[in-house]
Amino acid sequence: MSTEAAIYKKQTAKSGFAKQVREYFWGVAFLVPAIVTFVLFLWTPIIKGIVYSFMEVDFVKGNRFIGLDNYRQIFASSLVGTAVLNTLLYMLMCVVIGYAIPSFVAIAISELRRFQGVMRLFVYLPNIVPAVVLYGMWQYIYDPLGPANQILSWFHAHPVMWLTDKSVAMLSIVLVETWQGFGATALIYLAGVVGIPKDLYEAAEIDGAGVYRRIRHITIPGIRHLYVLMLIMQIISTSQSFQTHYAMTGGGPNNTTLTYMYMLTNEAFVRFNFGGASAMGVLMFSVLTLLSVLVFIIQGRVKPS
Amino acid sequence: MSKTVRERSIISTFDLKRPQVAVGYGFMLLVLFLIALTMLYPFGLTIFTSLKTRQEVFTFPPTFLPKIPQWSNYKEGFRFISLGRPFLNTVIIYLGNAVIPMMIVGLASFSLSQMKVPCRRWIVLFFMCTLMIPGATYLIPSFLNLQSLGLIDSYWALWLPAGANAFNIMLLKSFFDGIHKELFEAARIDGASELRCFFRIAIPLSIPVFVTLLIFTFTATWNDWYWPSLILTTPAKLPIAPIVYQNIVKSTNLALNIKFSILSVVMLPPLVFFLIFQKQIMHGLNLSGIKG
Repeated sequence: MSTEAAIYKKQTAKSGFAKQVREYFWGVAFLVPAIVTFVLFLWTPIIKGIVYSFMEVDFVKGNRFIGLDNYRQIFASSLVGTAVLNTLLYMLMCVVIGYAIPSFVAIAISELRRFQGVMRLFVYLPNIVPAVVLYGMWQYIYDPLGPANQILSWFHAHPVMWLTDKSVAMLSIVLVETWQGFGATALIYLAGVVGIPKDLYEAAEIDGAGVYRRIRHITIPGIRHLYVLMLIMQIISTSQSFQTHYAMTGGGPNNTTLTYMYMLTNEAFVRFNFGGASAMGVLMFSVLTLLSVLVFIIQGRVKPS
Repeated sequence: MSKTVRERSIISTFDLKRPQVAVGYGFMLLVLFLIALTMLYPFGLTIFTSLKTRQEVFTFPPTFLPKIPQWSNYKEGFRFISLGRPFLNTVIIYLGNAVIPMMIVGLASFSLSQMKVPCRRWIVLFFMCTLMIPGATYLIPSFLNLQSLGLIDSYWALWLPAGANAFNIMLLKSFFDGIHKELFEAARIDGASELRCFFRIAIPLSIPVFVTLLIFTFTATWNDWYWPSLILTTPAKLPIAPIVYQNIVKSTNLALNIKFSILSVVMLPPLVFFLIFQKQIMHGLNLSGIKG
């Protein structure tokens, strides 16, 4: 009796398991390739990065655990300080030119009564230029005897050494990138502006609110979520920027355009200090995560009011 | 003006009758005109410079338009650098990028959206966590990882990691979520396998989102110059962007008109692509902005 019950129990358990396998088999099978690629090409590097940051990576002699030495070296290096300051300056300039102004342009485009489609197209067009063409293009524009200085000469301004003057080089790079990214940002804002219900403007106008006040109190609050989103996206993307700097100035003149990320790649592929580079990556990750958490908290605080 | 009634925007027609607003509106139009000019000027510069003679290029102040268009510059450019092989490589890389990561991402998002999966929540978390981690922070370990997997100098090093894209999983999953579950249940009752459900129902119903992804993949493949030049060590395997960067952009002795003829050619395919798929691209842009 008892053995029979046990057998019966075992059988149901087995068939239950088999049933479960049958039920889940295809669902899991479809997920396996993605899980494998995520583990192999994303999670492994992420974890390896943390591990390497405590190691001296050497292909010949093998890796050696060195504790916090990599981090100590980073904090002791004055060049890292320069790179961090450069990156902050670069981010600030990008935010000033490439974050707020596109939203006003978006509002302006939404007010166009004709050629709105054409204007959208024109504004977005630079986004299509491949990076390598962008570099070639602007290298010529910034040439001391090139078009940029020619335009300045129309206004009787002194020629500027765009890429070799220490105080201008970073701004020149920001201008290049803003020229390219401006339109995409503006169009994202534009989608928000267009989505604001038109009756709000109608009601405001009837109540006697002027154009400026309509923009100030309806349009801008209406796209507030986009402002927060774009700020986070800008911070995350600009803080990692280095390719334009690498291609256009090579970090010069005198390291004024050396960004943190640029220094990180130099550390790895020029000085072959892979451990130090990994440690720089880990530090950057910590700072960025902290920043986005902060922004979210601030956003949460702003919203209820 | 037009026959259809235009929906009002911030400024009404009535507002425009007030001189203050009209002046402001005029100023706004002027600024927009200047912006449009700034956006278009470098394009004109690139194309017109590629058509100038050698003498014209070196005169100061530079002129905008060439006196007589020199189409032979393009011939000379192609003689300077052969783009056939790099172009073929780019196409191969693109085809791989269009098929392999798309399948990996598509199957996973279909499974998460329409199939029975144990611990779904944890799996979603496993994918989505990676969105929080900025790509640059694991650039170096990624490189070392590919090295230890023996994938350096192989196109697989570009194709496979592209499948680890949580954003695309999210995008496709939200699209698949919009397909009625009953459709798949009916198919299953009729004896269709899950693979058939995916290839015959899910994919045909999500063509727009796949097209958007394929377009963005094309732009990314055509543009990417830094990562391929790190991964691919054999020059013959390099796609077009790193080749142009190394031989054209970085070259100091190449005449400007020849240089710009090559740059114009490299700029052309994405431009044509954009003009064809303009609608999808704009739509995709809004998708990334709103969902991101």
